[in-house]
Amino acid sequence: MGRNVAVVAGGHSKFGKRYDATMRELCAEAYKPIYDEGITQDRIDASVLSYAASQFSGQGAGSALIADYLGIQDKPHMRVESACTTGTASLRAAWGMVAAGLYDVMLVLGVEQMNRVSSATATEYMSQAGDMRWEYPFGISFPAFYALMASRYMADYGIPHEVLSRISVKSHHYGAQNPKAHLPKEVSLEEADNAVPICRPLNLYDCSLITDGAAAVVIAAEERVKEFTDRPMWIRGIGAGASEMMIQDRKSLTSIPGAKRAGKAAYEMAGIGPDDIDMAQVHDCFSIAELIAYEDLGFAEPGKGREIVENKENYHEGRIPVNCDGGLKSKGHPLGATGISMTYEILKQMRGEAEQPSRQIKDVKYGLAHNVGQSGQFVNVFIFERGF
Amino acid sequence: MAEEKELYLGYATDKAVTPFMADWLRNLEQEKLMKSKCTSCGTEYLPPRQHCQKCLSICELTEFTEREAKLYSYVIVDFGPESLSDKAPYVVAIGEFPSGLRLTAHITNLMSPPEVGMPLKLAFEKIDDKKISYKWLV
Ligand SMILES: [Zn+2]
Repeated sequence: MGRNVAVVAGGHSKFGKRYDATMRELCAEAYKPIYDEGITQDRIDASVLSYAASQFSGQGAGSALIADYLGIQDKPHMRVESACTTGTASLRAAWGMVAAGLYDVMLVLGVEQMNRVSSATATEYMSQAGDMRWEYPFGISFPAFYALMASRYMADYGIPHEVLSRISVKSHHYGAQNPKAHLPKEVSLEEADNAVPICRPLNLYDCSLITDGAAAVVIAAEERVKEFTDRPMWIRGIGAGASEMMIQDRKSLTSIPGAKRAGKAAYEMAGIGPDDIDMAQVHDCFSIAELIAYEDLGFAEPGKGREIVENKENYHEGRIPVNCDGGLKSKGHPLGATGISMTYEILKQMRGEAEQPSRQIKDVKYGLAHNVGQSGQFVNVFIFERGF
Repeated sequence: MAEEKELYLGYATDKAVTPFMADWLRNLEQEKLMKSKCTSCGTEYLPPRQHCQKCLSICELTEFTEREAKLYSYVIVDFGPESLSDKAPYVVAIGEFPSGLRLTAHITNLMSPPEVGMPLKLAFEKIDDKKISYKWLV
């Protein structure tokens, strides 16, 4: 499998409606803390600088713009795109280049600027990630794809909407303690369960946010890691999966087949199983997605994800803490940044650097990131191991 | 020869129409829903594909005659994409035919909330001069 590769540093912009910034400024905010730790431009060999959708900014050749703004315009760079998995796809691409020996030290950055257009326009752009010929003509928005999964899941397993709302309540509970979060406020179960409908059965509190933000990490080859940190986080497992383009072609809507395949591959590569995971960052673009993720990743049997929710096993002191940074729901979901933000959060938790003890997970040895693109067409699962 | 009338599928419009799709749309206008069948391995597709997913051979259009389906899943879109925001709320359903083939379309005549498993009937719709579609009725 080539050389061992570790994450050695991370940076994160404030997530939110960032009318004070565009893509380039958000990227600078994400790289600055890394620079301040001493990983200056001259120490980076190459970079992957990615965003999911160019419609939002209208900017083409964006990785060149970002590289130039960050002062790495003379180093090789590229952009990787795979919808909402753009961040972890970038990390996967960079990992491959470092493991193979092409470069020793790489900057991996994900960004999205989404709020320069109206939310109706943003919804329009995201609906164009459905099949343009057969799905787009029927107005199937991004939440609509997940609502199709939710309707079927709720019918098959007989769960009430309240189970989904409990996931949103948890997300907001932790997002309220995350200074980088887009919507850092607590919500009550009643408020979440009775919010305005968006794509029934999903309501406003079942949906992640349309967010501006960026996140960055630096990865290094084993023999170079010590130059950068004595607290590395090893990349131990990488699993990638894919599913059918059209949602009607999936054999099941109560699971994402690509996520199951990605999880299995990541566990096999890391040589561990779901019981070994101390924390997970899962792709809760919608509340139903988090519930399904518990099952696809083996934390619960099919149809039993609700038990994790109802027993609060997903809280920071529970059996399997999930999204104790607020997740995509409260921290926000700048598409291309999300996978890197998950990685950043796992590094932070392993290092015991959560801002509030009330969201610090104890003794994280293995952390898992589950990043899903569109409605499951792309999935990346990463397993990280504490290296100190 | 008179110029062929432009036809498009559905409410929001994908304007990238190929000769294969134009042929399919002309059939739809005649209330004939066509599936496609691989000329090499015989695999059938609904909605149709010009190239077979299995062997990449060319497919030909053949008529799809099933009309009764069961609701596989649904969504009530309250807040739609910009191109359909005037139409919301609308109901999108995946219906499954007895053959196992599925189709995604709006249900246009619901009087009560949709339910997984409920019977659906396929029908046709002329949206305007250029836009045509298939739809579900309950
Ligand atoms: Zn064939």
